[in-house]
Parts: sequence; C-alpha cells; structure tokens
Amino acid sequence: MQSKSENCRWLLRPDVVSTVLNDGAVILDLRTKFFFSLNASGWAIAQMFESGATRSEVLAASLNWGAASADHPGINGLIDQLIAERLVEPANNSVTAGAQVTLAVWTPPMLSKHREPLQRIMVSAFDPGLPLAE
Amino acid sequence: MSALAVASSPRRQLVYNCGPAQLAIDFEEPALGEYLHGLLSQYDAPWAGPPNTIQVLVESNSLPTVASGTTGSYLTLQRLRVDCIDGRLVSLGHLGSRMEFEMNASRARVSVPPHPDRPALVEEIEQQFVLLLARAWAQAGWTPLHAGSLVPPGETRCVLLCAPSGSGKTTLTAALLRRGWRTLGDDKTLLRLQAGAACARALARRFHLHPEAARWFPEAGNLTDWPRYSRWTDKRVVQIEKLWPGRLLDEAVPGAVVQVERNPLGPALTVIPLEATEILNTLLRQVVIPGEAAHARPLVNCVVGTASRLRGARVMVGHNAFANPDVAEELEQILRRLLA
Repeated sequence: MQSKSENCRWLLRPDVVSTVLNDGAVILDLRTKFFFSLNASGWAIAQMFESGATRSEVLAASLNWGAASADHPGINGLIDQLIAERLVEPANNSVTAGAQVTLAVWTPPMLSKHREPLQRIMVSAFDPGLPLAE
Repeated sequence: MSALAVASSPRRQLVYNCGPAQLAIDFEEPALGEYLHGLLSQYDAPWAGPPNTIQVLVESNSLPTVASGTTGSYLTLQRLRVDCIDGRLVSLGHLGSRMEFEMNASRARVSVPPHPDRPALVEEIEQQFVLLLARAWAQAGWTPLHAGSLVPPGETRCVLLCAPSGSGKTTLTAALLRRGWRTLGDDKTLLRLQAGAACARALARRFHLHPEAARWFPEAGNLTDWPRYSRWTDKRVVQIEKLWPGRLLDEAVPGAVVQVERNPLGPALTVIPLEATEILNTLLRQVVIPGEAAHARPLVNCVVGTASRLRGARVMVGHNAFANPDVAEELEQILRRLLA
C-alpha cells in the first residue's frame, strides 16, 4: 500500500469529525460510527490531511517536528492505518499542500481505534441506547 | 412546561416552552394536541432568556405519505429515517408520518396520515417532535445528553449518570435524593461547553420511576397512583418536588461520570474506576450524533471536551440493594470521592 500511495495526495474524509484535546485529538467516523484517539504527534500527521498532503510531505514535515528518519516506519504505519480505516481518501488534482502544522514535542505517533462503534440505530433523537428489559 | 392555548377550535394553537426552544404548534386536529401534551409539557425546567421559537403546523392528511426517498443518512431511529436536504431535516416514520424542519426559518410541518393503530401513530409523532426539539436545542448551542445527575448537598458539581433506559438511573438517583442530594433530572440533560467550562442544565423535572421502587423508598407512597409513562413500561411519571421537595436544581458543573449497571447476581455494590477512554466512550454513547458533519461537530466537541475533565466509575448495583440503607451511604461516599 505504501509504495502505491507514495505520491498520492490524501484528504481527511468530510464526514470524519475531529476534536482537539491538550494531548492529541479524538476523531469520529460518521460513516462507520467508530471513533479513534490520536496522541499529539498522531494528530499532527492527521491534521496535515485536513487540507490534503502526500506521504512525502508528511515525512518532510515530521523532521521539523523533531522526528528522526528512524521514526519513518512509525509515521508510515500511522498513514497506512488512516488509509486502511478509510479515514482519508485520495484528493483530486486541484488540492495542493495545505497550511503548515506545528507540534511542540515529538513522540512516536499513535492512532488507537476504540473497540465498539457508536450505535447506528437509535431509540429516539434524544436516547441513543436500546432500553433494557425491566 | 407551559402550554398556552392561543386560538379556539377547530384549529388550535398551543405554545410550549421546552428549555431553550419554544414550540408554537398549530394543530389541524385538536385531539392530537391533547395526545401530545404529555410529551411536550414534560420539558418544564425553568429557562431564562428569550427562546428560539419554532412555528409548527401539524396537518392531517387524508392519504398516507409515501415512505420512500429518505435513506436515514442523517439519523436512523427505531421509528424514523431522517435525511438533511438543503438545510431541511426531512423525517419519515414507518407508519407514514412526515416531518420537515426548515432549520434557518425555524419552521416545521408535521403531516399525520390516517392509520388504524392510533396509539402507535401518536408515538411516532412524538418521536418526530423529539427529533425537532433535539435539533432546536443543538441549534441553541446545547448538546442533548441522555443522562441523569446527582449533586451532593451544598455543592454545585454533579455526577452524570449514564446508562440505557431500564438500568436503574432513576432508582439510584431517588436513593440519594432522600438523603439530601439534588438533581437536574433522571435522564434528560442539556450539556454545554463554553469558554472551556462545562455546564449541565435541567430540562425535565419529572422522573420516570418504577412502582417497585416504593419498596425501598416508602415515603414515595403508592407509585401506581401516578400516571403511566407509556404503554411499553410500568414506570410512572412522578413529580419529584412532591416526593422529595427542594431537590431540583437548574444547573450544575459536571465533575464525574458514572456508568450505572444492574448486577442481579452480584454483590449490592461493585465499583470499577473508568479510564479516560472509557469515560469518553460512556459519554459519547449517551448522545445522538447525526451523520451530518456540520451538525455532529459541535456535539462531539462538547462531549469530548467535557469527558476530558471528568473522573469516572462503573457502578454495578445488585438486586434489592437499596433495601439496605448502608448501600446508599456507601454510594454517597463513592460519588463524593469521584468529585473530590
């Protein structure tokens, strides 16, 4: 997957919603209802795909964040995860490199998928859960 | 609540204050207004400030609505499929009711078809109104949270109680109300995160309490004297102020979250701390998040931002646990520790 996508520009899907925290971010895929936690480095990588980025651009940016070439497998692994989970999609040709992303302290990037998706069918617009038998 | 009859029959307009939203409803069929009164009058917590008024026309159709064309891409509910099309929410019910909410114009139209199962049809229309209100509250900057809450005496921070209906949120709440704790409600709360501070607001001041609870709370009297909540449950709609006066609060600051579970074969009380991920998971599962990113984003931001400030625990309550007063006392200590 990595070699095929080397020069492909990827974009975070529009129905992926992200919320930034002090130490990373949470992203929710509205299509699958799965949500994911990212540490700060993982979020810096994912953030590049908000406006569109190639794998090479992310690797280049990571050097500015304090990553070393030894970190590249981890970075590629996270990008592969984003692609495999379909959180990013190939961007069309009109999308160019986006705004610069900054990161205070580099640590190995992490993206963890939460075990259970949120409910797809809900009781009502106020109550997401199915009632238990009394 | 506050239903105000504005015009006389045959058409009838009723106005309901429902938290930060107000519904001005024109009923073509006045009887339908009476059926819906129970639902619409329950959002009776006081609310300051001018509400966002939504004009609603409830019209009776002579022909059933053709239930095609909606995919449920916005929301799929047990009784409704909802799409968001050009700034309108379009919701079709399984029995043929249809609601169209023009969000920018604050105007909605509910079409009621003929149907032989009238109670089922009324329940479906109720769900259309819950959808309308949930969207209106979100437009007003609030996140509807299916959770109860408890506030220790003299404090302003609350423990949010999360669980599916039937898990014992209301019973647990009642067990501490009688010991001086206060509440925003047993399962309907509005949440807001503003300038980095989380706030929970009361919406409904009535509880849905199972008559069985009178075994542990004798001062509640015969709970079967209260009206039944719905035809699907024995729960009764109870005015908390009449059972335990002075226990209702309008707002509180969320400080902890408890995932409530029944544990019929286990000990009276089991407590397991929740990690940050589990706290987020618990809270997210109590919020209906639509498939439209622009609508989902503020709700997710609110929940994630609030969850990051909370401590949490999973509290499993054994069968007949509240027969022993020591259990309520232990529970008090557990919740206080979470808020400490």
